[in-house]
Amino acid sequence: MPELLQLTVNGLPLSAMIEPGRTLLRVLRDDLGRTGTKEGCDDSECGACMVLVDGRPVNSCSYLALQASGREITTVEGLASADALHPLQRAFLEGGGIQCGFCTPGMLISAAALIARDPDPSDEAIRDGLAGNLCRCTGYQPIVAAVRRAAAEMRGDPV
Amino acid sequence: MTEPNRRDAQPTDAGPPWIRADGEAKATGQARYTADLAVAGLAHARLLLAGRAHARIVRLDTTRARAMPGVLAVLTQDDVPDRRYASYGLVADRTLFARDVVRFEGEVVAAVAALTPEAATAAVAAIDVEYEDLPPILDVEAALDAASALVHDDAAAYRHDPNIVSGGNLASRSTIVKGDATAALATAPIVVRERYVADMAHPVPIEPHSVTAEWSGDRVTIHSSTQVPFAARAGTADALDLPEHRIRIVVSHLGGGFGGKCDFHFEAHVAALARAARRPVRLVLSRREEFIAPDKVTHAMVVDLETGLASDGTILARKARLLLDCGAYASDTPAIGQVAAMMIAGPYRIPDLEIEALSVYTNRTPSGSVRAPSGPQACWAVEQHHDVIAARVGLDPVEFRWRNLVRDGDEGPTRQRHEGNGARETLELAVERALAGPPLGPDEAIGVASGWWFSMPGPSGAFVRIESDGSGRIVTGAQENGTGAVMALPILAAEELGMRPEDFAITYQDTDSGPYDGGSSGSQTTFNNGRAVVDAAREVRRQLLELAAQALEANIDDLVLADGAVAVTGSPDRRVTIAELASTAHSGALLLGRGSGSPPELPEHDSSSCVGRFGFEAFASPTFFCHAARVRVDRATGLVRVLKVVAATDVGRVVNAPGAVGQMTGGVVMALGNATLEGTVYGADGRQRNASLLDYKLLTSADAPEIEVHFVENPASNGGPRGAKGVGEPPIVPTAAAVGNAIAAATGARVRRLPMTPERVWRALTTGDDGAAEGNAPLGPRASTATPTGATVPAAPAGATSR
Repeated sequence: MPELLQLTVNGLPLSAMIEPGRTLLRVLRDDLGRTGTKEGCDDSECGACMVLVDGRPVNSCSYLALQASGREITTVEGLASADALHPLQRAFLEGGGIQCGFCTPGMLISAAALIARDPDPSDEAIRDGLAGNLCRCTGYQPIVAAVRRAAAEMRGDPV
Repeated sequence: MTEPNRRDAQPTDAGPPWIRADGEAKATGQARYTADLAVAGLAHARLLLAGRAHARIVRLDTTRARAMPGVLAVLTQDDVPDRRYASYGLVADRTLFARDVVRFEGEVVAAVAALTPEAATAAVAAIDVEYEDLPPILDVEAALDAASALVHDDAAAYRHDPNIVSGGNLASRSTIVKGDATAALATAPIVVRERYVADMAHPVPIEPHSVTAEWSGDRVTIHSSTQVPFAARAGTADALDLPEHRIRIVVSHLGGGFGGKCDFHFEAHVAALARAARRPVRLVLSRREEFIAPDKVTHAMVVDLETGLASDGTILARKARLLLDCGAYASDTPAIGQVAAMMIAGPYRIPDLEIEALSVYTNRTPSGSVRAPSGPQACWAVEQHHDVIAARVGLDPVEFRWRNLVRDGDEGPTRQRHEGNGARETLELAVERALAGPPLGPDEAIGVASGWWFSMPGPSGAFVRIESDGSGRIVTGAQENGTGAVMALPILAAEELGMRPEDFAITYQDTDSGPYDGGSSGSQTTFNNGRAVVDAAREVRRQLLELAAQALEANIDDLVLADGAVAVTGSPDRRVTIAELASTAHSGALLLGRGSGSPPELPEHDSSSCVGRFGFEAFASPTFFCHAARVRVDRATGLVRVLKVVAATDVGRVVNAPGAVGQMTGGVVMALGNATLEGTVYGADGRQRNASLLDYKLLTSADAPEIEVHFVENPASNGGPRGAKGVGEPPIVPTAAAVGNAIAAATGARVRRLPMTPERVWRALTTGDDGAAEGNAPLGPRASTATPTGATVPAAPAGATSR
């Protein structure tokens, strides 16, 4: 029997009638039209589906949509403000952190969660913090540098 | 028209950061990939895959599936044209759906379209198939035995490229022969023989294959996650017996390919489903399907090497025999065998060569053109071999390479003349930079590996046009797989037209709008489509100058096109902007150029002694490179930690430095995955045992080392724009070899089995078993526990011998 799901996605209250077995990833993509979040493996291994649930990063492919009832979800579409990209998005763009772009939404979400809990992460902390997000294109080095730079900018340090 | 060499060209030479035009859409989640497209009335496809390596189909009954609720179509080979198709015209050995026999576990037996994914999955489960299992053919050496059962009983009847030499389970044989290697080896003072064995690996783009097809009358539009839209169109046309102009292939955004999305895959299956279902249909592969079904994995290889040397370390001759596991269907492997043979020769001065590459049918997932196909495995074998023979003659590995690498004017394996000293310059640079690091710690060492890779000349087209407001547009058939090669094309057009790259928009990867291109394969976008864009822009340049000559009443030879305007030399106030000229043009002849880049010929060479020639008997504008890897080996566990990789590459000329650097860092990390982690494990039943990202591990950010990128520039006289050579594939070629050499230097133990997993490294360290004697046979039912840990050093030909 479908159940009513009510949640907030990128600040917007939304609701949908869903079968209880459906994942947050499928509901975001198929019911709510938020296709920025990607499916790469359906196994919690690649991280392309990562979103923030009340600020905590989760693999939405392995998270039941109903678990998100009443919670605040942030997807990649929610990072930029109306008039400016998020510092992470800009740093990824300018630093070669984006090639095919398929890992980018999850990578950005992981990075945002990392900086929220550690505003001044070491390179090692960045590499550990992004270890749940696979990228096949960049070799990670430009992404690590971009996160370092965005974190500095968000702290107000010179970059 | 060669420009001077520039050594150690740095990314900072490029000026302000390059922002890829598709980047903002990708960073914000706006970019739509094939699986993201909203389509009204969309139905969902699922495939029935064989699930077994080799079997006869005794009964295939779709009656129950067709009757299930929500099912719109169920297709088998009975529902599509009864024809075999070929990959790139090589061997027509394959049908869309299995007919009578399944030859690998990922083979498509039937396909379903239904109103929901769940209904499609249920219908697939309701298809009744009865199989009679046949023994899987999995060992390439045994498969070549005349008594072996055949993967294809009727291979002799297949339509194929006339250059293919085949028979039995031999899908193709290629040789590279120069001089008389047998005679030279008979008199060589030192001969070293070795065997190396590489496992299959996967390209693993993070986006799985996805296809959406929608008919409108007799035309079908197919959105596909393909790297090669025109090849996908040709395959669909062939398999469905349709003219190409009724098929439109569009790639919205592509989530990586690495060769795994080269060739024609599921476009025709989905188009046929959409026609039968009378509505648009989408297929998205699961990750497991992505591992087993697409016919593009790296080749498992067995490499036997025999090199003759003078006592001073000069290479005199080489014989080699390579077995490439082709898998169940030929795909583009027949051509790749020839590439593998050229890679075993390498950029070395070797007077006498006899290299034979045999591509062998087995009941595994078909191999194919994964990023630098056969290059990493071949280089891993031959560059470790070079360290072994250097030690045999008492030379430092760097000194050995320095003496034997080709120089400007030297002849290649088929007597092509080399240009420039990139092979030695990259060696020198990589070693110098690698040694500049901190002193080596315990169980640490640096390994180096050199190599080469071809650029791939091919037909490719583009249009350049100037809109009425003076902004520009490139319309190209090229495909952007993420590398940024297409995104960088405006750099070339802007240079010709005195405009800025950001003045151009790009229409790309749509077979209805752009002219033909070979796709994002073979490192060819800048090399071929770049030339086409330059040609098209030059035509527009002439048009602009002619218009300006009229407008300014000046001689065309006195005009300068720069900074968005045409001016008269010496009279800078006599100028007219491109926008003004464009406005004029839009009342008359349009500003519209076309280019097809006229692909360069192969360099002059002599391949008359070679068989199985597919255009790789000489390497066009070869890229040279050397990687140096610093590693630390944990002797207790066999775990290899790669601390740093220095990558030095002669790319001819860097056209877009951030893009080129991104290929290097990404290629090195992909190569390190192949070196230390990534290998497909097969069971004795012929099924993959690690077809998931839980069991098939890629390197993560926490595993990846620091990568230092250097470029050497020796512009190719017959290369791409500005003398550019291919960039995308080279960085994946030498890294595993450098790591293997570093492992041996750190521990004294050489691992001759790829990937060099902790277990294999540990075994080599503790027992001396280098792993090569395992061949490429599958695991037994309990082989992982039954393997004797006290195994003795394998019998010849493993290990170095001499006389």
